[in-house]
Amino acid sequence: MQQILTTCPFCGVGCGIYLEAEVDRVLGAYPSVTHPANRGRICLRGWHVHELCITPARLRKPLLRKNGQLEEVEWEEAIRFVSERLESIRSRYGPAALAFLAGPRCTNEDAYILQKVARVVFGTNNVDHGYGAYTNTALEVLLRSLKVPASPAVIEDVGEADLLFIDQVDLSRQNPTVGGWVIRARESGTKVVAVSYRRDRITLQADIQLYPQPGTALWLYGAIAKVLWDRGFIDLEFLQKYCINADEVLRSVQQYDLLRAAEICDVPPQLIEEAATAYGKAKSALILCSTGGEARDPLDLHAVVNLALMRGHLGRKGAGLLVLTEHCNLQGVCDMGVLPGYLPGYTSVFEDEAMDRFQTLWGVRPPKKAGVTATDVFAGANSSGIRACWLMRFDPLILAGFSRAFEALRRMELLVVQEAFLSPIGKYAHVVFPLPAFGEEDGTYTSTERRVQRVRPVVFTSSVMPGWQLLTELAKRFGHRWAYSKPADVMEEIRQAVPFYSGIGYESLEHSFGRQWPCTQDRPGGTTRLFEDGLRERQFVMTPIKVPSIPAHPGPEYPFRLVFGQSLYFWHRDTYVNNSQVLLREHRVLLLDYPDGFVEINPTDAERLNIRDGRAIKISSPLQSVVTTARVTDEVRPGTVHVPFFVREVAEALWINGAEEIGTLSKPVFVKVEPCAE
Amino acid sequence: MRARLINRDDIVKLVRILMREYEVVAPFCSRGSDTVFDVVTEENIDKIQLHVRNPIYPPKRFVLPHVEQMFEFQMSEVGVSAIPTYNEKPRALFGIRSCDIAGIKHLDNFFLGREFVDPYYLRQRRNLFLVNVVCTEIGTDVGEYCFCLCADTGPAARDGFDLQLMDLGDVWMVVAGTERGSRYLDLEFMARGDDSHIKLRREILSRVRHQFFDKQTSWFSAAMRLITRLEVSESTWEKIGRRCLECGGCSFVCPTCSCFTVDDRRVSAGKAIRMRLWDSCALGGFTRMAGGFNPRKAVHDRRNRRFFHKLAYQFVLRDGSIGCVGCGRCAVVCHGAIGMPSVVEIIRRQELGSQD
Amino acid sequence: MDWNIYTPRPAIIDRVVDEIPGVKTFYWHFEDPQEEERFRKFLPGQFAQISIYGIGEFPASLPPSPTERELFFTIRKVGTCTAALHELGPGDRFGVRGPYGNGFRMDEYAGRNLVFVAGGIGLIPLRSCIVYALHKRDQYKKIQVFYGARTPKDLIFLNDLVGWQQSGLLECYVTVDRATEGWKGNVGLVTSLFRLPGVEVAVEHSTAFVCGPPVMFRFAIRDLLAMGYHERHIVSTLERYMKCGVGKCGHCCIGVAYVCTDGPVFTYEQIKELGEDI
Repeated sequence: MQQILTTCPFCGVGCGIYLEAEVDRVLGAYPSVTHPANRGRICLRGWHVHELCITPARLRKPLLRKNGQLEEVEWEEAIRFVSERLESIRSRYGPAALAFLAGPRCTNEDAYILQKVARVVFGTNNVDHGYGAYTNTALEVLLRSLKVPASPAVIEDVGEADLLFIDQVDLSRQNPTVGGWVIRARESGTKVVAVSYRRDRITLQADIQLYPQPGTALWLYGAIAKVLWDRGFIDLEFLQKYCINADEVLRSVQQYDLLRAAEICDVPPQLIEEAATAYGKAKSALILCSTGGEARDPLDLHAVVNLALMRGHLGRKGAGLLVLTEHCNLQGVCDMGVLPGYLPGYTSVFEDEAMDRFQTLWGVRPPKKAGVTATDVFAGANSSGIRACWLMRFDPLILAGFSRAFEALRRMELLVVQEAFLSPIGKYAHVVFPLPAFGEEDGTYTSTERRVQRVRPVVFTSSVMPGWQLLTELAKRFGHRWAYSKPADVMEEIRQAVPFYSGIGYESLEHSFGRQWPCTQDRPGGTTRLFEDGLRERQFVMTPIKVPSIPAHPGPEYPFRLVFGQSLYFWHRDTYVNNSQVLLREHRVLLLDYPDGFVEINPTDAERLNIRDGRAIKISSPLQSVVTTARVTDEVRPGTVHVPFFVREVAEALWINGAEEIGTLSKPVFVKVEPCAE
Repeated sequence: MRARLINRDDIVKLVRILMREYEVVAPFCSRGSDTVFDVVTEENIDKIQLHVRNPIYPPKRFVLPHVEQMFEFQMSEVGVSAIPTYNEKPRALFGIRSCDIAGIKHLDNFFLGREFVDPYYLRQRRNLFLVNVVCTEIGTDVGEYCFCLCADTGPAARDGFDLQLMDLGDVWMVVAGTERGSRYLDLEFMARGDDSHIKLRREILSRVRHQFFDKQTSWFSAAMRLITRLEVSESTWEKIGRRCLECGGCSFVCPTCSCFTVDDRRVSAGKAIRMRLWDSCALGGFTRMAGGFNPRKAVHDRRNRRFFHKLAYQFVLRDGSIGCVGCGRCAVVCHGAIGMPSVVEIIRRQELGSQD
Repeated sequence: MDWNIYTPRPAIIDRVVDEIPGVKTFYWHFEDPQEEERFRKFLPGQFAQISIYGIGEFPASLPPSPTERELFFTIRKVGTCTAALHELGPGDRFGVRGPYGNGFRMDEYAGRNLVFVAGGIGLIPLRSCIVYALHKRDQYKKIQVFYGARTPKDLIFLNDLVGWQQSGLLECYVTVDRATEGWKGNVGLVTSLFRLPGVEVAVEHSTAFVCGPPVMFRFAIRDLLAMGYHERHIVSTLERYMKCGVGKCGHCCIGVAYVCTDGPVFTYEQIKELGEDI
């Protein structure tokens, strides 16, 4: 029996958990009491994570499609098939016809090698992580405004703040551990302001609760900024010294009108004023937002960053901005350059100097052209010309944003899937390579607070080749001899490729609870809070946000705003959830009451329209309509229709091409709702 | 009471002797100030911790594992056989705290003391040798969330152990609680003590008890009365329920919680296994029936349930003891800070209006 | 000797009968005749745990009377396990363990009138009791059965109902909420049968057995109490999510009672005290 500290593979909080294991069996899982991110608390998913390690549904041998059926084959046969097919596709269509996509649950080592294979072996920047449609906006915004594409604050700051400003994230579902931090902080006297379009568990406990209409956030932030300005809460000195565009931003702020904004948001003006005043008065105010479980308009996020800068609280304990990721290694796969426009360490593919560095490191110069995104591949209006696609721990079919991915998948001449379990994508795969499951895997994840930490193997299945190893083997077939014999070797190269990882080695990760980047030779212990040890002049870039125009409304006959989002836990139809009995049961609790899926609508609306819980409801946009089941709940605000991502029928019917922008919090779909005779 | 004295340095010898018969599990330090129960080997035997924060992962897992295989089913054309898969490994828990001893006693009564005897529990329990260590150091043994004094389970267990060790400063006192335990009192490094040691034991325990009052307390009695009489208002339960994020952690770490669910898994064409896994009444799916009816749909109904089962007098009668041993683990793992002490306090304040 | 309380004993399906859409009756016997003999000592109102090997286990009430020759289960398809059972046919194996629960106290009712009120598949747990009483007819006074379902298509144990009506040994009244073509019987809720001309519901020295969907249950209880029934003389069986059947898994615990070991038969007086929705 042994007790091994590892990192939870679900959300981005990066909870420290122990696995108890015996030779070849995982016996249980429990939290670390002193890990700084979770301090003894983990959510239901963490408590059942060991079930993933014991499911017999694990893939153990490669599967190759023969006569239409996936059949178990030896590794050599599968690798040979894949290399030959890749070579043939590349020679016929060129490197731009290949795409390499990773899910946000790949380890840093796997992700790094995947993008290296794409760039070095096949000469393409067609590399992306599958959640780019949602997340990359947030990263871009942070990179542009703060020059660092990650959260400046850390989770512990939630416990240190005087005021928490929760911006449109359902913490009880997406990052329950952080939700717990908020409840505990509130119990010890921290004031909580929450902006949400759902009455979720955490928002309901906030001292000030703002429920704006979806799509009106810019007015709300504008109005808050205006109150900050009017009451003298803006740290003008900080803005003048450290921020570019401060004057323009302050000018644009003054154009907002509280009463008008309140009317558009449908939030009482006093409440906005109260929230803004509380935020302005707080000695240390922390804003919590999400990198996007739902896609958001970049301007929305810029407005949030502006609010953080206006108080000048960055780099202070218990203050600033905490941007939460929903997957265990979303931060890491981005850091590793699994992005079509960035090499490892967010080096733009257009930066010549940096490219020289990679040429030295890799012996090959990556192409100076941004690649295609996952959205281009699966949700693009037309074919992006991709003929071969490599999917590592990524299944586009479980994402509503890619509800029509199967069209693109059918066109593929080669679809390679690397997964620990057979997921829906298997139906389209030509080859499936097993991956180590959680508990077998060795590597590192980077959490939402930039914490690079080990995920450790506790049981060993020699028959399964880890992702990096298979890819290294593939590279070898194409004449590239890479000398990695273990994940630590890959990390040694990552240290050279990613400057802010340069101080991280497996040795150093054995102490304490990982290292938070930037972790360099000069700062071997890593960096807890960004910007804590001083700021440079004009370091930040603010973005002026003009008063938006009222969105085009299709007319009074479409009074409801429909948004897609999370429901239940942030689980999708996750392969992980499907392989744990208790998680699956909990995931289905609501679904069992509404076996055909559901959309949520407020009781007052339901009563007025004679819509009953559990009964059929018809939703129509000016273009399309769909019939589904109503779930009548006061968790959603009046005037909105909330569609969980997994209710694909609605997504498919109402999701318009250019998918990621429509039906989001920033741009709801206007619909009408009526009861439907059964 | 049969007792002996042992030098601190000889404790390792005792462990080695136990290792001849048992797989010995003892507390160790891990990352940060985490502590874990782990198997003692020749490599780590010197690192066993006697004064240490009680590990969060409760030792109940050695009688009721987190995941436990119950059967292997072999299915063929000619028949089906259900082969029970028992774990009968002899195991000694070295350094189990008094609160956890009380937890195991509670589980014994539940799994073995009723009409139906649980065969899996029984086999693991009768092969389990318990070496209790009395909590004498404030700050390490007695952590910030401990309240065994209020649950009357510690700092020194009165029974339920095979052997009990207590730090008297210069020497340790060894007490045998069972016949099985008393065999070890005859080892050559065990010395006889005298009345002064008994006196010292009393003094130390009295000191520790008094120091407890600076720590967490949980005044059960009012809460038990109110819960038993169903006098806790719905709004109080709602207030408590709102803070529950439905992780199930409180049940998993609780030394007396025993609910489980059962899951079948197909391993290969003719083979399947049935296993049981820890379950929690905090979860929405816990009571939901296949037809769709859920008697405890609201989260506060489920929280209400937890505390009713732990504290209602009817259950105390049925189970033989209250369902809380004062280990404080639920207070550590709860996201919403609604572990047992806080809930008792919320109920007291809400229903009785007490301000202190 | 294997005394594992959780071991499912192999049973073989003899034949399957479609009752109504979604509900089938499975006639079966134990592979081991000794096991069968032991099991046959069950009481009306008890239940068993059915295993579908590799899928799971679920509780099911025992509709046959111990005085009958054949063993059978009548099962509605509601979840994965029941769906898996519905896939099975003659000769297929499944597992059974039990009987569990307290059952109806049939001797306590001796010399009393028995009034059965059932809605929909609520007749399944009551059937055992009715047939038992018929087989020991002289022990009881008047026997009345009031049964209602949504439509004529939803009436289960149709042959039994017809048989009972013709036997002259008991009064059997049947109704449907919604008549369909060809239905010549009563229309209305099961409680409307109490007020039919010529019907006189036994109240004095009577025990009422009520089983059915929650709404029907509440109405029936209300009417029975209004007629003068004491809460102690109204009996029902409770259903809960259950994993073990032997008081260990904790799922079925309501109030201080474990439905599996303290129930599933409770008087209305007890049910009220348990304090949870039915």
